[in-house]
Amino acid sequence: MFSDPRYYLWLIPALPLLAAAVIGVLGKAILRDRSHWLCIGGAIGACILSFMTLSAVSGLEGDRIDGHRCIRIYYTWFHAGNVDIPFSLQADGLTAVMLVTVTFIGSLIAIYSVGYMHGDPGFPRFFAAVSLFLASMTLLVLANNFIVLFAAWEGVGLCSYLLVGFWYAKPSAADAARKAFLVTRLGDVGLFLGILLIWVNFGYSLEYDVVFERARSFDNHGLLVVICLLLFSGAVGKSAQFPLHVWLPDAMEGPSPVSALIHAATMVTAGVYLVARCTPLFGQAPEAQLVVACIAAGTALLAALIALTQSDLKRVLAYSTISQLGYMFLALGSGTMDHRLAAVAVTAAIFHLFTHAFFKALLFLGAGSVMHAMGGIIDMRRFSGLRRLLPVTHWTFLCGAGALAGIPLLSGFWSKDEILAVTKQAGQPGSFASGIYLLLFFIGVATAGLTGFYTFRAYFLTFWGEEKVPHEAGHHAHESPPVMTLPLCVLAVGAVGAGLVFGPTGWFGGFLEEHWVNPEFPRRLLSDRAEHAHDYLVMLFSSIVALTGVGAAYWMYVRQPALADSLARAWTGLYELSRNKFYLDDFFYSMIVKPLTVLALLARVVDQYIVDGLVDLVGQVPAFIGYAVRPVQNGLVQFYALLMALGVGGFFLAILLR
Amino acid sequence: MTRVTSFLGENWTLLSPALFGFVGIYFLLPQGRRSRPLPGALLGAAALLLAGWLLVAAVGPLPESILFYAFAGLAILGGGLMISQKNPVHAALSFALIVLASCGIFLLNAAPFLMAATIIVYAGAIVVTFLFVIMLAQQAGISEADQRSREQFLASLAGFVLIGGLLCVLHRTYQNNDLDSAMATLRQVADANTPAEIKEIMGDPKKMGDPKKIRRLAMMEELKKQLPQEHTEIDNLEGDWARMDVPALTSRARRLLSSHVRVGSLVPTEKHLSKNSGVAPNDPDAWKTTSSGALTERLPARNVAALGKSLFSDYLIPVELAGMLLLVATIGAIAIAGRRQEALR
Amino acid sequence: MTPVGLQSYLVLGAILFGLGAIGFLARRNLILMFLSAEMMVQGVAVNLLAFSRFRGNLGGQVLTLFMITVAACEAAIALALILMLYRRRKSLDVSLWQELREPDQDAVIDEEPLPLPPMEEPSPRLTPAGPAPQKREEEVSHV
Repeated sequence: MFSDPRYYLWLIPALPLLAAAVIGVLGKAILRDRSHWLCIGGAIGACILSFMTLSAVSGLEGDRIDGHRCIRIYYTWFHAGNVDIPFSLQADGLTAVMLVTVTFIGSLIAIYSVGYMHGDPGFPRFFAAVSLFLASMTLLVLANNFIVLFAAWEGVGLCSYLLVGFWYAKPSAADAARKAFLVTRLGDVGLFLGILLIWVNFGYSLEYDVVFERARSFDNHGLLVVICLLLFSGAVGKSAQFPLHVWLPDAMEGPSPVSALIHAATMVTAGVYLVARCTPLFGQAPEAQLVVACIAAGTALLAALIALTQSDLKRVLAYSTISQLGYMFLALGSGTMDHRLAAVAVTAAIFHLFTHAFFKALLFLGAGSVMHAMGGIIDMRRFSGLRRLLPVTHWTFLCGAGALAGIPLLSGFWSKDEILAVTKQAGQPGSFASGIYLLLFFIGVATAGLTGFYTFRAYFLTFWGEEKVPHEAGHHAHESPPVMTLPLCVLAVGAVGAGLVFGPTGWFGGFLEEHWVNPEFPRRLLSDRAEHAHDYLVMLFSSIVALTGVGAAYWMYVRQPALADSLARAWTGLYELSRNKFYLDDFFYSMIVKPLTVLALLARVVDQYIVDGLVDLVGQVPAFIGYAVRPVQNGLVQFYALLMALGVGGFFLAILLR
Repeated sequence: MTRVTSFLGENWTLLSPALFGFVGIYFLLPQGRRSRPLPGALLGAAALLLAGWLLVAAVGPLPESILFYAFAGLAILGGGLMISQKNPVHAALSFALIVLASCGIFLLNAAPFLMAATIIVYAGAIVVTFLFVIMLAQQAGISEADQRSREQFLASLAGFVLIGGLLCVLHRTYQNNDLDSAMATLRQVADANTPAEIKEIMGDPKKMGDPKKIRRLAMMEELKKQLPQEHTEIDNLEGDWARMDVPALTSRARRLLSSHVRVGSLVPTEKHLSKNSGVAPNDPDAWKTTSSGALTERLPARNVAALGKSLFSDYLIPVELAGMLLLVATIGAIAIAGRRQEALR
Repeated sequence: MTPVGLQSYLVLGAILFGLGAIGFLARRNLILMFLSAEMMVQGVAVNLLAFSRFRGNLGGQVLTLFMITVAACEAAIALALILMLYRRRKSLDVSLWQELREPDQDAVIDEEPLPLPPMEEPSPRLTPAGPAPQKREEEVSHV
C-alpha cells in the first residue's frame, strides 16, 4: 500500500484538514492551549507522506503505474450538463517537490508558532487556520484539473485573509486583510476567465493531461496568448507581481509565522507553480512569456528599489519576497520555445522557489524572533546592535541574509545564478526578442546588487551598531525559547546547504527533468541541459555585483553611519520616491479607490433617496389605504352589520342589473 | 345607464312602495330631537297600501284573500311599530303583534301545529323579554339610547335595498305567464283520457287551419325554451299527438311535468324521503292525481300526526340533535348568567 | 289556483325580513336588536311555510320547527348575555361596547345630550278639609 502513492495521496490534504476541523470545533472549548499538537501532528504527517510521495515519484518509470506520475480519481465532484468535474489528485515531480517544500517548511513554522503565539487568546484559531492553509495548499499542488486547483487557490486566499486579519481588532490588520483579499481577487477573476476559455476551447475538459495535449495542436495562437495572459493575471495577484503587488507589504500585519509560511515560502509561490504547471501552454505562446518576463523583471527591480529605504524589517523582507518572486517569473518567462530553454528555465524557477522558501522563511522567522524579543516592535530605527542579545537569531538571520543576497556557495547564489544564466541565454542574439531579454538580464543583475545592499542594510541596522532596545521590550529582552530557535537552526542549515547540495550537483534539476519536464513537455521544447547548466561568467559577474552591494551596505551602515543620511538628503527626491513605494499605493488610492468611493457615495444617495423613496412610497400606498379605511373599524357592532347588509344589497343590485 | 333606466322602468311597481316605506321608516326611526313621526306614519301607511295594491296577487273577496290582507297588514304594521317605538315595552308588545299576525299566516298555510308552537314558544320568550325590559330598562325611564338610532339613513337604505332586491327577484321569478299557460295546457293533456279531449286542447292533426294550433305551437316553444334538455321528448310529444296515441301522450306529458319541477327545484337529494313528509319533489307518480294547478290538497289533513311521523322517521337524527342543542343552550345560559357574584365583582 | 299566490306570501316574508334588518341595524337597545332578529326569523318562517304548502311537502314545516327550536336556544343564550352585559355597564345601549375599534380611533359618542324629560308639575298642596288636627310636640318638625 505504501509503495503506491495513489492510496495515500488524499491523506496529505486530509490530515491537516481534519486537524483544522477538530481544532475549529473543539479548540476554543476543550483544546485551548493544546491546539498546536493536532496542527503539528497533521503537518508532520503530511510531511512524511510527502516525502514518501517524493520517493515514490522518483522511483516511477515510464512503464509503471501511470507512466511518469500517479493519478487517482476519487469521485465525481460535480456534474452539470456536459461539465463533469472529477475530484482527482495527481503526483509528479513538480508536485512532489512543492509538497515537500510546503509541508516541511509548514511543519517547522507550526513548531515555531507554538512559542511565538504562546499566550495569545486566538491560539486555537491560529492553528486551525494554519492547518486549513496547509490542507488547501497541498490540495492546490495535488490538483489534477483546473477546477480543483481553483478551489484550492481560493482556499489559500481565504486562509491568507483569515491569518492576515488574525488580530482583527486592530484596524490596520483588518484593512490589510481586506486589501489582500480584494487585490488577489482581481487576479483571480482573470484566472477564472482563463479557465473558462480553456474549458470552451480545449474540448470542454479541464484535466491537465487533456488540456496540454490539445494545446499542442491548438492553432489559434492569439487566443492561446490571451489564455496564458489570463492565467498569468491570477499568478500576478497571488504572487504579488506588479501592479497587484501592493497587498503583500500590508499583509505583514499578520503574525510573523504567517508571513513566513504564507507570504514568503508557500502561498505566494502558488502563482509560480501555476505558470510552471502550465508551461506546455506558455511554451506555445512566447509573446505571453515575454510579458511575463518583463513584468517579472520590472517587479524585481521596483521591489528592490523600494526595499532600499523601508525602515520596517518585515516590510523590507516583504519587498524582497516580491523581488525574488519576480526572479522566479523572470526564469519562467525566459524559457521560450525558440531558445529551447524551457527545461532549464522551469527547473531554475522551481529551484529558486525551493531555496527561497528556506531562506525567506528563515528571515521572517528571525524577524519574528526579533519582534518577539523587542515586545512587538519591528521598526529598525527603534533598535540596533542586537547581535549579543539574540545570538542564535543573529547567526541564523545572517545565514538567511547571505543566502538571499547571493553570497557565493549559499543557496540563493546557485538558484539565482541559474535564473540569470537562463535570461542571458534568452538574450542571445538572433532569437525571439533577444534585445529585450538582454535588457532584462541586466535588470536582474542590478537587482542582485540591490538585493545584497538592502538585505545587509537590514542586517546591519538590526544587529550591528550600539545596543539599543525599545522600551516596549522592557528589561528582559532575551533570546527566544528553543521551540522557536530550533526551527531557525534547521532552516539555517537548509538555507546554507540546500543550494550546495542540489545546485552544482544538478540533482534538483535532474530530478525535475526526469520526473516532470521530460515526460510532460513536447520534446522540441527541450535542450541539452549541460549546455546551459552553469554559466561561470554570469556566476562571477553576479557574485561581484552582490558582494559590492553587501560591501556598500557595510560601508554605509557600519563604517560611516552618517553617510546614509547625507545620501538621503542629497537625493531627497529619489529617496522619498523609494520610501513612499513609488507612490503606487497613493496612485491606486486616487485612481481607483477614490473614484469608487465617489461612485459608492452616488450609489448610496441614489439608493437612500430614490430607491428607498420609491420603496417607501410603495409601502405608503397600503398604509394610506389603511389610514383611509381605518374609521370603518369603529368598534360598533351595528356598523359592521350595516356594512354587511349594504354589501348584500350591492350583490343583489349587481345580479339584478346584470 | 340604459340598463338602470330599463330596470327601473320594469320594476317601478315594486320599487315605489319600497321607496315610500324607506322614507317612512327613515322618519319613523327615533332620532332624538329631530323625530318626525307624523310624516313617517303617513308615508308608511301609503307604502303599506301601495304594497297591498301593487305587490299582492290575491284574487277576489274570498276568505283567504281577506285573511291574508288582514294578517299581512297587521304583521307589517307591527314590524314598523316595533322598530320605531322609543319605549322598549311598547316595542316588545309590537313584537307580540307580529308573532300573532304571522301565526295567522301560518294557519293560512295549513300549519296549525306550528301556529300553536310559535305562539307558545314566542309567547314564553316574550314574557321573559318583558320581564327583562321592565327589570333592566324601565328603572330609570326611557334611556337616551332608545331615543336615538344608529345610522338611521344608511340602515333604512340597506333595508330598502334588501327588500327591493328581494321583490325584484320574486317578480322576475314569477313573471312567467307564458310558462304558466304552457304548463296548464300540458297538465290538461296529462289529465286527458280520450282523443276528443286531446283534440279539444291541442287541436286536430288532420284538420288544417285549426285555431288551436297557435296554442299548441306556443306551448311547444315555451317547453323547449324552459326544458332545453328535453328537446327530443317534446318532439316525441308532438309525434304522439300526430298519431293520436293517447296513453303515450299522457304519460309523456306527466314525465315532462315532473321534469319541469326538477328543473325548477334544487338538486333533489339522492335519499328519497318517505311518504310521511308529503310528495317528493321528483316523484312523477304524484302528478297523476292532480287535476288543477294548485297542489294544496297534497298536504295531509292531519297536520300534527303527519308532522310527527315525518319528524320521527325522516328527521330523526336532526330531532335528536335539536334536543341536544336545547340542553346545551340551557346549560350555557345558566353558566353565563348564573355567575352573579363574579359579575358584580 | 288559490286566491292568494305563493308570491304574495314571499313578499310578506321579504318585507318582514327587511324591516327586521332595519331594526337590527338602527336600534341601539340590545333587547330590541334581539327582537328585530327574531322578526327576521319570522319572515323566513313565513317563506318556508308558504313553500311547504305550495309544494305539498312537509319539509318546510319541519324546518320551521327546527328554526323555532334554535330560536328558543338563541333567546336563552342571548338573554343571558344581555344580562351579563347589563351588569357590567348598567345600560342596554350597544354603543357602549365599542372597545374593539382600531386603537387610534376615537370612540363614537352622541353629539349633544337630549333634553331631560319634562319634570312633572308637583301636585298642588291642598289644605286638608275638616278641622285642623291637634298638633302634638313630636309632629312639629314634620315638613
